[in-house]
Amino acid sequence: MPGVMIVEDDLSLRELLREALEKRKYTVITASDGREAILKFRPSVIDIVITDLLMPEEDGLSVIMNIRKIKPETKIIAISGGGKAGPGSYLNIAKTLGADLIFSKPFLPSELVQKVREILG
Amino acid sequence: MILNDINNSSVKTPKKRLSDTQHRHSGEPEKNLPKAQERDSPGLITAGIAHDLNTILTLIYGYSELAMEGLDPSGENYRNINKIIQSADRAKTITGQLLARGIEADHDRITVTVKDVLRETLEFLRPVATDKIILREEILTPGVTVSADPTQLFRVFINLARNAIQAMEEKGGTLTVTLDTRKSAEVRNLPAGKRMADEYALIRFADTGPGMDEATAARMFEPFFTAGKQRMGTGLGLTVASGIISAIDGEIRVTTKKGRGTVIEILIPSLF
Repeated sequence: MPGVMIVEDDLSLRELLREALEKRKYTVITASDGREAILKFRPSVIDIVITDLLMPEEDGLSVIMNIRKIKPETKIIAISGGGKAGPGSYLNIAKTLGADLIFSKPFLPSELVQKVREILG
Repeated sequence: MILNDINNSSVKTPKKRLSDTQHRHSGEPEKNLPKAQERDSPGLITAGIAHDLNTILTLIYGYSELAMEGLDPSGENYRNINKIIQSADRAKTITGQLLARGIEADHDRITVTVKDVLRETLEFLRPVATDKIILREEILTPGVTVSADPTQLFRVFINLARNAIQAMEEKGGTLTVTLDTRKSAEVRNLPAGKRMADEYALIRFADTGPGMDEATAARMFEPFFTAGKQRMGTGLGLTVASGIISAIDGEIRVTTKKGRGTVIEILIPSLF
């Protein structure tokens, strides 16, 4: 099955998304921030990266830029809990930087899993 | 005296070598930091709260969805979980409104006995603290009151205490929460541009965690900055906290040193 990397600083949400994806038989690797994500990223294993945007160390925008350099064909979904006036503008920047899809929190994990399935074809 | 130590220095003197890394957050513009009006703006505070709530709502949605798997849609449990999701939908509408309009809800300021909010905070956190973490309470002036929204004050205390606990999670340690007062004459560098008071409530969160280096401490009030274990989920926690305290003419001060723990002090004009 395709490999998914989840980059999310909130431990509970990270584990929830891991559970939701592993139930659908995806191989899941997790990271708690952008720096850890790049250290753990394995081009041969990971097909799609789901990254939060506001994180410590290196943020999600940095993840997008780095992944695009390492393996340009990797699919990327950016997620954030912000809106238009606040950090939500990060979602638009993420799109500009090359995220294939942007996703606002809160969402149902099943919606995200469905999007993963669609993006990976 | 820690308070005096804090007043001896500030983030404005980055080249000065300090035995402790000491920073004062009073809402003044500081080098490499956002301007106070940006950092403490109602829009940013609102965004921070809504952002945190949206993450929590995602968890509510997610675990509700997991719990529904395999349940009979006509069964009571399924219907009840569905009600949880519907309730989360209502909350989602509210966070959406907050973010879209960039408004800050009007907070009701009343006379608050700080001790009560502080004890509520510690009771709330006690189950979260592991065996390795000791919570100590030093209420030296139990009667001190301030003009504040108790819910907002609770939010600030929770953020600061939770930060301290998270910083000590690996190796354990002690969080000492102190409530005291300081006469204005005892407090140097009083909050600029704020309503002056004869006396201030002093709330101190002192942990024995890993502390922070000078560079990290200099950035800790930046929006979205999170310093390793000294974290608040989105990194907006301290920004929100400082905004709330600043709005009631108070101030947050930080003393920290790598390997020596962190002391965060809140000064709020007292009402007696």
